Amino acid sequence: MSSWIKLPAFVLVLIGLFVWAGDVVSRAAGFGGPVGLGSGVGVERGREVFWGAGKCYTCHRVGPRGSAVRGPALGRDGGVAFETRAAERSRALSTAMSATDYIVESLAQPSAYLAPGFKNEMPRVYEPPISLDAEQIASVVLYLQSIDGAPDPAAIHLPAELRSARSGVTASRSWQPYMEGDAARGRRLFFDPRGPAPCARCHIVDSAGGRVGPDLTAIAGTRGPEYILESILRPSATIAGGYETVLIETTRGRILDGIIRDQTADSVFLVTAEGDSIALATGAIARQRIQETSLMPGDLAEVLTVADLHDLLAYLLTLR
Amino acid sequence: MRPDRRLGDSRRRGAIAIAALAATVTLLVLVPHPLWGLQGDPQMAVDEVRTFFGISPRLVIWAVAQMHLLFAAFVLGVPVFTVIVEFIGWRTGDIRYDRLAREFTRLFAAAFATTAALGGLLAFTLFGLYPSFATYFVRIFAPSMYVYAAFFFVETALLYLYYNSWRALQHRKGLHITIGVLLNLAGSSLMLIGTAWTAYMMSPVGVDSAGAFVGTTLQAIANPLWIPLTIHRTFGNVAFGGFVVGAYAAVRFLSSTTDEAKAHYDWMGYVGNFIGVSALIPLPFAGYYLGREIYSASPVMGNNMMGGAFSWAFIIHAILVGMLFITSNFYLWAGMGRIPGAERYTRFIKYFNVIIIGCVAVWITPRNIPLSAGEQLSLGTQVHPILGYFGLMSAKNAVINFVILATFASFLLYRRGNKTDLQPVSQQSRRAKTALLGAGALCLALLGWYTRALLTLSPASLNLAPEKASYFVLPILLLVTTMAAVVVCVSLTLRDRGHLAQQIYVGLVAVESVLVIGVYGFFVMRGANPFLRQLAAAQWILLMSALLLVTAIDLLLFRGARRVGPIRWGTVNPISQYALIALAVTNVMTMGLMAFVRSGLRENWHIYGVMKDTSQWAFTPSFAVMARMVGGITVVFLSAVTFLFWLAHLGARGDGLSDGETAPRPLTET
Repeated sequence: MSSWIKLPAFVLVLIGLFVWAGDVVSRAAGFGGPVGLGSGVGVERGREVFWGAGKCYTCHRVGPRGSAVRGPALGRDGGVAFETRAAERSRALSTAMSATDYIVESLAQPSAYLAPGFKNEMPRVYEPPISLDAEQIASVVLYLQSIDGAPDPAAIHLPAELRSARSGVTASRSWQPYMEGDAARGRRLFFDPRGPAPCARCHIVDSAGGRVGPDLTAIAGTRGPEYILESILRPSATIAGGYETVLIETTRGRILDGIIRDQTADSVFLVTAEGDSIALATGAIARQRIQETSLMPGDLAEVLTVADLHDLLAYLLTLR
Repeated sequence: MRPDRRLGDSRRRGAIAIAALAATVTLLVLVPHPLWGLQGDPQMAVDEVRTFFGISPRLVIWAVAQMHLLFAAFVLGVPVFTVIVEFIGWRTGDIRYDRLAREFTRLFAAAFATTAALGGLLAFTLFGLYPSFATYFVRIFAPSMYVYAAFFFVETALLYLYYNSWRALQHRKGLHITIGVLLNLAGSSLMLIGTAWTAYMMSPVGVDSAGAFVGTTLQAIANPLWIPLTIHRTFGNVAFGGFVVGAYAAVRFLSSTTDEAKAHYDWMGYVGNFIGVSALIPLPFAGYYLGREIYSASPVMGNNMMGGAFSWAFIIHAILVGMLFITSNFYLWAGMGRIPGAERYTRFIKYFNVIIIGCVAVWITPRNIPLSAGEQLSLGTQVHPILGYFGLMSAKNAVINFVILATFASFLLYRRGNKTDLQPVSQQSRRAKTALLGAGALCLALLGWYTRALLTLSPASLNLAPEKASYFVLPILLLVTTMAAVVVCVSLTLRDRGHLAQQIYVGLVAVESVLVIGVYGFFVMRGANPFLRQLAAAQWILLMSALLLVTAIDLLLFRGARRVGPIRWGTVNPISQYALIALAVTNVMTMGLMAFVRSGLRENWHIYGVMKDTSQWAFTPSFAVMARMVGGITVVFLSAVTFLFWLAHLGARGDGLSDGETAPRPLTET
């Protein structure tokens, strides 16, 4: 065979091998293409952020998952429990610090305390190039809480720099209320069962109120005013993780909608918009689908005055 | 016109040209001080992005930039060794080197215009497809762009002068080589400016918290990755140039019909491979330095590179670089067939290749081996209990050192193939012995400098507790031991025990650098992870000292040795020429891959952390897409280069140059 045929063929074989290697590695690495950004606050989203956009996994591993060694392993399985780190930190500061406070501090001020043996090189995740927003950060905190125990949103108190964090936008541009509200009046509105916005029917604050929607005891600790306002006026725009409305059709043809409060292998516990709890056997469920609309009424923009809205917002912003 | 008159005119013209060049460079460097200090105030604008007739702008920029980079690497890399080859020809009086240098010049001169055209196309596509980004960039770098254009004119003038004055300055080689050096300086200046722009996109400086540029052009140029990237590119360009020239020679060898031409292109291929491998050896260290600076500039980017999604790219990279080393060794082994007496050493090469293949296997082992859920469950972890260690940096550093040592040893054996009856070192000239002492002193200085650096290293500077300083002790001991070994080995060589000295030094460094530091690195990673960088630097310095001292001993040892017989150039097995072609193709793909990594590390940022790419094309393509893209670019590049070289060959015929003239007689010696 002439070398003028053999040579190009040889080169093409080499390039073909390279393309094949790219395919194999691509399958193994499993990345590429646009990534869904998700929305809302929840453990699942926190997991996505930790192992994705937040790039936390490039330094930290969690239990048996991951292999990074640049930062400390997280969680007591293979690493050091957050409680232990918090205790070390409490001793250093001479003030009590919870595990969640320690996590939040590590995200807000990574250089405030360095785990022994590790370098001061963790970036501020709320600044470029990572630029996580407040929801993503709160979600990561929830996920990290869930590593060694149950997630506890009420324990999360994000400092100002984290609350105002917005993806790719500097803090100075964050939204501010149009007028100053009366927090005391807002509290009355919140707990008034006959008022235009009987929020306490579904939301709990300091152990008072219903348990249909998310606990708002420390809502201002994890969310900024813009998010809270959107949740009031457009509740379906962003539904907090774990509070999605679920439509269930039973095997007998009964249609139910509500929020799944708990789920076991045998049963599903549903809470309806009225606050009723319904236990269903798993076998009795024919179909189940997550809805895109929230259980929360979507007409508050029509029933609240501008002053009511700002009073309510002012009250919610005091909940830290 | 009388010959002496012509010579006088030519001298005058050369003097005028050099004076004009010097004036231009001085003007450019000194005069535009206000221009350099210009304060820019580019603000973040709406990110406007356009398609190229419906095609993704990102793909278009990718293809054009990569083609420009490949051609630029060739026209910047080849002149570096062309001047060296010409200098060797001048000093040794061997006309073959002069003719080879001229042939190299013919090749890069042919590629020069295409490089410039691709550079222009890149600028146009950037302005057309990413106008917001281009505007922001111009506001910062405009002064440097004028200087770039000026240097381009200077380089063009010097290239034509260098190429066309070859015969006219045949008897004034010093002046001609000076023009070649100036050509390289102009090319390097262009590369420095262009690299500053690229590096700025990765490690911007002078930007306030709102993303506005508040620095000066000079500050933007002197960004943290500028010099590391330039060093890496310089070695990369030379290696690339060497391998492409080697492939050209291989194609010509395979198509040659006369013994003379075969001999010439066999020799040219050997020189190309020698240059490629010589520049390839320091490349991993330049790459490590660049990587280290990327970490320092942005730990997020650094972690994304080595611990994040891009860490997989380094698996492909390891395969490609492993192929380069293995193929080079194969080529040396095949080349021994044309060296009488080399059969004494041929059998050792396969052991070196076994070592290299084993090392590459470790190098390509990822930390996280893809496992099924069942496999993970049975292991109890995502990381294999043994193979997982191979995925860590300490193992990678150790095997890279071993690969380089094995390749180096392989080359030493090749070099001594036809040499026998050595002249005792004790009977060599004083000058030769002084050169050995100088090499030894240089090694001592290198090792001593880093020993001192480690002795004065504060654990606090690495955020380590004071007691962690105990981790510094072992590398210090190794460096001190090696310094003692330098003294012993130089003494042994001077007492005619050079072979023993080489074995002691290579053996010692292999044990220290590969085994001791390789294993010790895991302990450092566990107990004092930030110190790993210093440990890797110690490893590199040990290896460099071995390359330096053992080469010096080898040169002295075989100086004046009797030759068993002449090298039979042109009789090499044709399969070896495929190895040369494989080296060039692999190198092109490696450059394509690493350009993808360098650019991809910015993810969805035009300028990392400052200017976001908000278009729909901002995502990172998968490795499968990358491989197809780089594969396609490789095909286009090789086709274009083949065409240009063919044109250059036609031009040479037109000039009256032919294979017979470039290789007037069968080559029988190195």
